[in-house]
Amino acid sequence: MAQPHVRVTRRQLVRAGAGAFFIPFTLRAGKAPAQGGKKPFEGVTLNISCWSATYPKLIADYLPEFQDKTGIKVNYDTPGFPVYNQRADLELSTKGSGFDVLNVTFIYTSRWIGAGWLTPLDPFINDPNKTPAEWDFADFVTGSVQPMRDKTGGVYGIPWISDVLMAAAARFDLLAANGFGMPDTLDELEKAMQVVHKKEGVAGFITENHWGWIYPAYLQAFGGNVFRNPPEDLMPTLDSPEAAAAAETLARLLNSYGPEAAAGYTYDQVTEALRAGRINYSTHNHAFCALLGEEGSKVTKTSNFGMIPKGPKGRFPGVASHGWGIPVGAKNKDASWEFIKWSLSKDLVRRMTQKHGLGSVTRKSLIDSPEYKQRMIINSVDTGKLFLDAIALSEQGYMKYRTVHVYPQANAQITQALGRIISGQMKAKESLALAQANTIADLKRAGVRF
Amino acid sequence: MPVRRLGWAQQRQRSFILGLAPALLVLALITIAPAIYLVLTSLTPLNLTLPGTAWDFSAPAANYLDLIEDPRFTRSVWVQVKLSVATVILQLLVGLGVALLLNGSTPIREMARSGFLIPMVLPPIVVGILWRVMYAVDISPFHRFMAFIGLPVPSLITDPNWALTAIVIAETWEWFPFTMLMALAALQMIPSSPLEAARIDGANDWQIFRFVMLPYIQSTLVVAAIFRLIDSIKAFPLIFVLTDGGPGDVTEVTNYYAYRQAFTFSLWGYGSAIATLMVAGVFVLSYLIDRLTGAAYAEAD
Repeated sequence: MAQPHVRVTRRQLVRAGAGAFFIPFTLRAGKAPAQGGKKPFEGVTLNISCWSATYPKLIADYLPEFQDKTGIKVNYDTPGFPVYNQRADLELSTKGSGFDVLNVTFIYTSRWIGAGWLTPLDPFINDPNKTPAEWDFADFVTGSVQPMRDKTGGVYGIPWISDVLMAAAARFDLLAANGFGMPDTLDELEKAMQVVHKKEGVAGFITENHWGWIYPAYLQAFGGNVFRNPPEDLMPTLDSPEAAAAAETLARLLNSYGPEAAAGYTYDQVTEALRAGRINYSTHNHAFCALLGEEGSKVTKTSNFGMIPKGPKGRFPGVASHGWGIPVGAKNKDASWEFIKWSLSKDLVRRMTQKHGLGSVTRKSLIDSPEYKQRMIINSVDTGKLFLDAIALSEQGYMKYRTVHVYPQANAQITQALGRIISGQMKAKESLALAQANTIADLKRAGVRF
Repeated sequence: MPVRRLGWAQQRQRSFILGLAPALLVLALITIAPAIYLVLTSLTPLNLTLPGTAWDFSAPAANYLDLIEDPRFTRSVWVQVKLSVATVILQLLVGLGVALLLNGSTPIREMARSGFLIPMVLPPIVVGILWRVMYAVDISPFHRFMAFIGLPVPSLITDPNWALTAIVIAETWEWFPFTMLMALAALQMIPSSPLEAARIDGANDWQIFRFVMLPYIQSTLVVAAIFRLIDSIKAFPLIFVLTDGGPGDVTEVTNYYAYRQAFTFSLWGYGSAIATLMVAGVFVLSYLIDRLTGAAYAEAD
């Protein structure tokens, strides 16, 4: 059999020479594939973004582990909540490939999943070659996964947090010294604040200025709601007497018992003010309240916690889940899934809870573990139980207002309306009537028919 | 068939066109095409969550008709007018004042000129963070000083009576160096002979400024004012960082309202209609100012 004639061109020779030159460097950089040193995703780069919270910030510290394990390089950023949401919303809407993994924000779940902007995750979860059984998807809290599903039950996000609104008294000693316990009702809260405000120079009350998150808990406690019957009936109900009463109460708490410029506190400012003992009491997220027991806090020995106070119609702690999702335009979805698996593995989340006191986790096995339960006890108060009690309350379905696709519009109007009321520009009734009219106009513009 | 030869003038004309063509093409691609797209989008109800709306021209005037009845849009225009007028006037006054102080050539003045330019060259977001600190009651040196001397000042950015003023102060601080630079350049172009003549005639400093310097530099000041007016309509980062349009909507200027509609609600058609009206407004404004000042100069001449 005749051998084919092989012609070697000058170009091929140059290429071969260049290749030979780099071989020693390649060998120095790591083991050769034959020696088992080849990482499964060597050379892949992922762009990942999430809003700034305790867990996403901790992830940044652990990324070298992921890069060592998989060979995947990660470009990672954690902007503030509003900045992140706007950026992610725009990026997802273009179905672009700029990001490989994004946070699925609670108030955008319906919009992003419904519009087909996220990748279905069931094919990854159910494929044993991609997800080993011990990763255990069923271990995630059912209520946390629920908002990440579409109407057919398909999963589009894996929750990293289920956060709840609770109450924290950083200087409970001041309340106790004046004969108060943790306020169980809004009336009790006001009575306590009247007495302890400015005691030892500590302002009485604060809450973050994300009114679209804080205010509905007060609104529902007074018997109102954002929409008439979400998700079926999206007629806003912001002009109800209950809405005005709730807004007046929140404004009075902030203006009478808050620090200077109380209306301008963001969630991280609230957390730091509580940790420093500058402000006493807040209705705040569990994930942030848990930091009162962590290193650097000056109030670990004086803190107390409780459910958010009841109003005339009951107690409705806000509950929200955020999860990791893969944009539909992401180019290397297998690598994206590797990141999600790693970042929510039992081992990594357990280490975060143990070392950094990470709270509001979403794995049942962790929540039920004695170590986690012990870690969530701050100054003898079981904040983990408060968290679970709030989740249980939310199973009534009162959070449905928050996952409708037009909630961002209502959220913006609530924020403006409360801003006007708290700053004294308008009376509650007048401001909320304006918010009602504006929300209806915005919803009509977004295609909602009444 | 005889070939018609082009004359020299025609050849020159053709060369000019060919030479300009690449630049015109680039200009068309980077400015005119997006502008056309903006106007076209404003004629649709484009909502990013409903891709079918991108090319829906069934009601092309709907967004504009909606805007006429939208009180928040009207209010945002009024906020914009207040912000623009206040910042332009203050920037002109402060810029001109500092330019008069720095008009001369001593080493200290030259050093000071460079120093005064710093706010203008800082990234806007850095300016925003800087003023955020200045307005934070707990940590601001300004608030601490005022409290120390017994005159505590409430938080400016959360007070509806002061929030817009707080933006005006920060915006003026950021951009007065621009008017200062232009005024200074114009002042240094004034020939020395009329100044000397005025002094010999016994004019005082105010009279020299009013009747000699100002006529020389007023056209430069008008140009600076037009630039600043157009730029003031783009005021965004400071509002974003300092007030987020609040409290309520007292600092929600028109471009912030457009941003909210487009980026928060995904209503790009409506947002584009607002942006289109803003572009048209800036054109009309510039034209009117140009005509008015042109007429004033003609009368003065």
